[in-house]
Amino acid sequence: MMWRSLSADWLKIRGKGLWFLVFLGPVGLLAMQGLNFGMRYDYLTGQYQSDLWGGLLSNLADFVPVALYLGGTLVCSLLANVEHQMSSWKQLLALPISRTSVFMAKLLICLLLVAVSCALLSAGTVALGLLLGFGTQPVPYADVLRIGFASYAAALPVIALQLWLSLSSRNQTLPVSLGLILSLLSLFSTFLSEWVPLSWPALAWSTSRPWLFSGAGLLLGLLVLLPGAVHFARKDVN
Amino acid sequence: MLVTEVKKMTQAVIETTNLLKEYRGRAAVEHLNLNIGKGEIYGFLGPNGAGKTTTIRMLLGLIKPTSGSIKIFGQDLKRNKLQILRKVGSLVESPSYYGHLSALDNLEAIRRILNVPKSRIAEVLDIVSLTGEEKRPVKGFSLGMKQRLGIAAALLGSPELLILDEPTNGLDPSGIQEIRSLIKRLPVEEGITVLVSSHLLSEIEQMAGTVGIIRSGRMVYQDTIAHLQQQAAGDLRLAVSEPEEALILANRRGCGGTLQEGRITLPRMSDVRVALLIKELVENGHAIYRVEEHRQSLEEFFLQVVEGGQSV
Repeated sequence: MMWRSLSADWLKIRGKGLWFLVFLGPVGLLAMQGLNFGMRYDYLTGQYQSDLWGGLLSNLADFVPVALYLGGTLVCSLLANVEHQMSSWKQLLALPISRTSVFMAKLLICLLLVAVSCALLSAGTVALGLLLGFGTQPVPYADVLRIGFASYAAALPVIALQLWLSLSSRNQTLPVSLGLILSLLSLFSTFLSEWVPLSWPALAWSTSRPWLFSGAGLLLGLLVLLPGAVHFARKDVN
Repeated sequence: MLVTEVKKMTQAVIETTNLLKEYRGRAAVEHLNLNIGKGEIYGFLGPNGAGKTTTIRMLLGLIKPTSGSIKIFGQDLKRNKLQILRKVGSLVESPSYYGHLSALDNLEAIRRILNVPKSRIAEVLDIVSLTGEEKRPVKGFSLGMKQRLGIAAALLGSPELLILDEPTNGLDPSGIQEIRSLIKRLPVEEGITVLVSSHLLSEIEQMAGTVGIIRSGRMVYQDTIAHLQQQAAGDLRLAVSEPEEALILANRRGCGGTLQEGRITLPRMSDVRVALLIKELVENGHAIYRVEEHRQSLEEFFLQVVEGGQSV
């Protein structure tokens, strides 16, 4: 039943700017580093001489958490807006499909879109590195994959929360402003305790135990999903 | 009396018992007992804000009743929601659509959830006469076309029960006419039971066989249109040469009349009593110019009912 809902959602997100956003995120991040390395090429390649790829990745990694939070917020909001805009909930939820399936389908679409962004970031990183002439050193594929996906898993609590808030109310002011605040705060996550989930995407890249934070993110994300799904299944559709 | 018996014999498609919905302690719908028989067009009437949409949303499982039960096709809605909804098509208030998609894609999105054959899309487009327009984005449609698309979407799953909330709201006269004839056709051609709500009696009168009138969340009338028309039958007006004296005479016979604009207005009475009264008036030397039955229009009667001026 969820697959039926998912295939309907797949159709509905066409032309709503979601795919544009999915491309914009990684392209934006890579363009920034392209500019960074392009403008001070000699200085940076000198500094990272022994590990050119590591240099590129660590520069890139500073902005991955904020991009994930921002992108997740906007994807959730745009996705919810497809239904909110012409109050299609009353039509959709009067169809013979369980509310849980509808919620899970929205979640899956959202996760899928962000995952495409992460994959594009990984692929784009390799392309950018080769373009900058780092091909002389071997590509660290594990790290290239880790840069997007490890932080992605750690960002799940916030994405799950954003999905819940966006789906709950027609008014997107609260979820979008909260998402913006969290994104901005995440830039200063080095000052936060590692117990604050907001800092997990950054920690999932930088610490010596990255999988701990990815795993914690996954777990907490699931925990946040539960009340979201229950609330969605029970709420009155006005 | 007869009507109730007939209804009991045919299977009730919708049956609500003491339905109550409260918002922050204020009842939007209370003690609502709907009874809609198979193959009927049931008109659900009431002024804006009377609780029609709230009731309809409860019937579709969109909102939960505070108390009371809903049975559709004889099954409890709470327990068998998805099986019931499989056989129900709905259009609630303003049309729901995805403006950026074409009519075809709008229906396809719903079709994927209903899991009906693709050919059904062309069929429903044909029923609502949107064939030829299906490739255009819906945001460019007129309100009437959007509403028809909504009905097409409601028909997509070949429902046995169609619930339409204010389907003609905001349409121009020709749009209203189109939707009306479409709705009237459905029970005949497809055997569908239709629940249609409106705040306009004239709308319902031309489509429905049975009406339920709701006021401030309570059902104040539920019977056939024919019965409603009988109820609305009016009073007797007499124009005579000396109205004051004639009124005194009539009231001495216990007619309970009043004088309005120089005419005597008498409540409805039997033919025999009318004849006797006229005879007496003539014998007492009154010249009688006119004896008219003033039929209250259904609209006036409806206003009386919804304004609480008359309990039925």
